[in-house]
Amino acid sequence: MDIQLKRGLLDVCVLTAIKNEDSYGYKIIKDMMPYIEISESTLYTILKRLEAANMLTVRSVEHGGRLRKYYHITKAGLGRIEDFKDEWREVMSIYKFVTKEDAENE
Amino acid sequence: MNKQEFILNLKAKLSGLPRQEVEERLSFYSEMLDDKTEEGLKEEEAVAQLGSVDEVASQIIADIPLIKIATEKIKPKRRLKAWEIVLLALGSPIWISLIITAFAVIISLYVSIWSAVVALWAAFGAFVGCAIGCIAVGTVFTIGTNALTGLAIISAGLVCAGLAIFLFFGCKAATKGVIALTPQIALGIKKCFAVKEKA
Repeated sequence: MDIQLKRGLLDVCVLTAIKNEDSYGYKIIKDMMPYIEISESTLYTILKRLEAANMLTVRSVEHGGRLRKYYHITKAGLGRIEDFKDEWREVMSIYKFVTKEDAENE
Repeated sequence: MNKQEFILNLKAKLSGLPRQEVEERLSFYSEMLDDKTEEGLKEEEAVAQLGSVDEVASQIIADIPLIKIATEKIKPKRRLKAWEIVLLALGSPIWISLIITAFAVIISLYVSIWSAVVALWAAFGAFVGCAIGCIAVGTVFTIGTNALTGLAIISAGLVCAGLAIFLFFGCKAATKGVIALTPQIALGIKKCFAVKEKA
């Protein structure tokens, strides 16, 4: 997959992973695993970038005698997911056009 | 390797980077390892999943902009005393030029690598020029007085043309290679900064 494309997708996937409830690093990776692979360092970079863009907030919660960072999605983050859906509705219709011949030939 | 060893090794590899940045990264990896072991993974297995210390360190270094790394290197580790500031101001003609020199070295490194590519393309251009020239001159000779010499020159031109075609693919590969290599060169330069020199 194209690197730029994957980067954009990963951003939205991470936001989606924390959309319904606040989540932490390891759980985000696990939740994304079936759909898209992400390394720990990549996740860190993305979380930082999303935090800088005010798309999520971070808080530390005590868990079993240690601190765990939980990530909470903001309004801007939710907006990013909606933008993504709109964009991809367009992409999907283009995809249909591109693959129309393949479908007819089958 | 257990968790503690992993974190310590990683810390050593990143010792020259901005401290706060490193601490944050280390606590991120440490949380990750704790969560993995909490799920029943052995500490060694959890560490192995993260990849080697070198890989992780390289990714982190690649992430941090060179400017940030370089300024961290130059930044004093404690507050400066008044007389030190005065000395720094007085010495600015020296250290500013030293910094400029350092950047000039980095840039010249890039330039010298690229100039090799440019030289290859120049050679390619020369062969093309020779081929055209030889064939033109050879044709004139062949039609004119000396057909034998003319044919010899034409064949030399054809040889040049052949070499040019060969070289074209070489040039293309070299250019692509250098473009692909550029981020790695940047990473290499950053790595020189990343580890604190021993005092």
